[in-house]
Amino acid sequence: MAEYVGIDLGTTLSGLAYLKPDGNPEIVPNADGERLTPSVVFFDGHEDVKLVGSAARDGGEPDRTIFQIKRHMDDPEHLVEIDGKKWTPAEISALILAKLKRDCSKIIGDIQEVVITVPANFNELARKSTIAAAEMAGMKVRRLVNEPTAAAVYYAHSQGVQGRILVYDLGGGTLDVTILDVQGDSIRILTSEGARHLGGSNFDELLLDAYAEQYSKQTNAKLWSDERHRRRILHATEDAKKMLSKLQRVNDTVSNDSNDGIARIDLTRDSFEKMIRHMLTRTVLLVEQALDSARLKAAEIDHVVLVGGSTRIPKVKQVLEKMFGKSPKSCGNVDECVALGAALFAKRSARIQEVCNASYGTLAMVYNAKTGEEKLLNSIVIPKNTPIPCSRTQIYQTSEDNERVIEVDITQGEDEDPRYVDIIGKITLEVPPNRPKGCEVAVTFSYDENQRVRALVVDKQSGRSREVAVSYKGAGVLSEDELKKKTVSLRQMRIE
Amino acid sequence: MFKKILQSLSKSQQAKTQTAPTRQPSGPMPMAPTGAATSRSNAAKAATAEAPATPVGPEELCGIQGKMSKDQIAARLKLLYRRFNRSASSLDPKVRDEAEKMLTAIVSVREKHFGEI
Repeated sequence: MAEYVGIDLGTTLSGLAYLKPDGNPEIVPNADGERLTPSVVFFDGHEDVKLVGSAARDGGEPDRTIFQIKRHMDDPEHLVEIDGKKWTPAEISALILAKLKRDCSKIIGDIQEVVITVPANFNELARKSTIAAAEMAGMKVRRLVNEPTAAAVYYAHSQGVQGRILVYDLGGGTLDVTILDVQGDSIRILTSEGARHLGGSNFDELLLDAYAEQYSKQTNAKLWSDERHRRRILHATEDAKKMLSKLQRVNDTVSNDSNDGIARIDLTRDSFEKMIRHMLTRTVLLVEQALDSARLKAAEIDHVVLVGGSTRIPKVKQVLEKMFGKSPKSCGNVDECVALGAALFAKRSARIQEVCNASYGTLAMVYNAKTGEEKLLNSIVIPKNTPIPCSRTQIYQTSEDNERVIEVDITQGEDEDPRYVDIIGKITLEVPPNRPKGCEVAVTFSYDENQRVRALVVDKQSGRSREVAVSYKGAGVLSEDELKKKTVSLRQMRIE
Repeated sequence: MFKKILQSLSKSQQAKTQTAPTRQPSGPMPMAPTGAATSRSNAAKAATAEAPATPVGPEELCGIQGKMSKDQIAARLKLLYRRFNRSASSLDPKVRDEAEKMLTAIVSVREKHFGEI
């Protein structure tokens, strides 16, 4: 049995690594002989089989092919319907995980417990969905770990570096920036910032627009008329993007599916860099935000580490080099280091201090006795970047005489303006009648190692209390019973 | 120095709609599900709906005024980026669209005042 296993459940590619007896992590190939498995699922219409990986990606039927399901893991209403059956994002992810488990078990033995990586800015629902996906695939999640943390663990292990490391993780679908401090075997995360929907697939879409424009100019026709052909062209743009990281100029020939002729697509690295310039500026803004959160200046960062396939783009390196005044270093194979780091993390988690990825609090009318000002604010109880696990309490007062029900909104977000935070739950607590306003209420938030939140409200006078774990409801969220049933059903499925 | 009084979103909205000079005791309220789906506050949705119909430039969108120093502009962009980068992953498509517009405006203003990357 493999004891320490890490899985990178990526937007575009997934990988599994284990810790060898010598203490070094190793990627385990799938049954197709690939070190990484495309995170794509194909539901065959003729046979009762689910294809996962390259075979699914190249299957060709867009209506039956699910790409980038990870982008929907935080959407409680997202469902995928195939042949009248509805699948949640967690179930689709479970198919990918089941393929990894089944294939890799043949090489390293049974896999029971795993560490799974998630983007630093994944919210509670997305984290819960990831854990549910693993359970359906027959694996227990030892810990969830943020992707850049896993990458940094691998980088620190493989390079033997010390000091403050900034990890810039530009993957297929998200950008994560994490700053951590490495001292000997101990790693302390200082901050993690993330941007959703900012990654390689956004660059592919921009190139797709360029292909369509050039094709239309040369042939006066549309490059695609259906999703199947659009997917094929998108695949070609991904290849062109990769080539532009090696060459200054790339040519391609494309045709549509209506015999309107062939067009020669001419792309230069310069034009590609102009296309993605605004996206890269957004990544710089996120790096600045991370430095700001950690109260550090660029000069105080000792190492800049690149993770994720999109960091192969030369302009990414140039931008970071200009910003930090030092050359960023690649984390070995930028596509594999997250899984490798997760396997290391499985053994070393006790030496790694993580932090709360968001601020949690409640809404409160805050009176400033000195100035007399009053304002409805997002009152933060656990600030972002508090080391975890943690528990914090704030005392509030009731707002009205004879208040019978105390309502506490649970907010997620740093902004003090309530309009810009999420309300992720609510606690209501019945209290005795006939009390004046101003009774004290203690609100406690706890944050566990898997970055999930619990809230406790205590009415100090009556001693009444109520505690809840933040949970979600929606068509795409499975109940405990549904989860058990799906687990049994998934074990009987043919997954190739 | 600070006194913090609990004010849930439903109560704050209730208070806004009340016209009587004295607020009534709230009394027992229907129990809301403890695990509500993640939602951006209604106030944010209202703010989105109130967006002006006429097109405005990136600087106006970002609240950048001519007399602002570079440091003030940088601080303003920092606050807006943090706010709207977060909103960009909202489950509410309206909030997400608004965030995308703001992020585009923030990048334009940054490039104008601090140069291209």
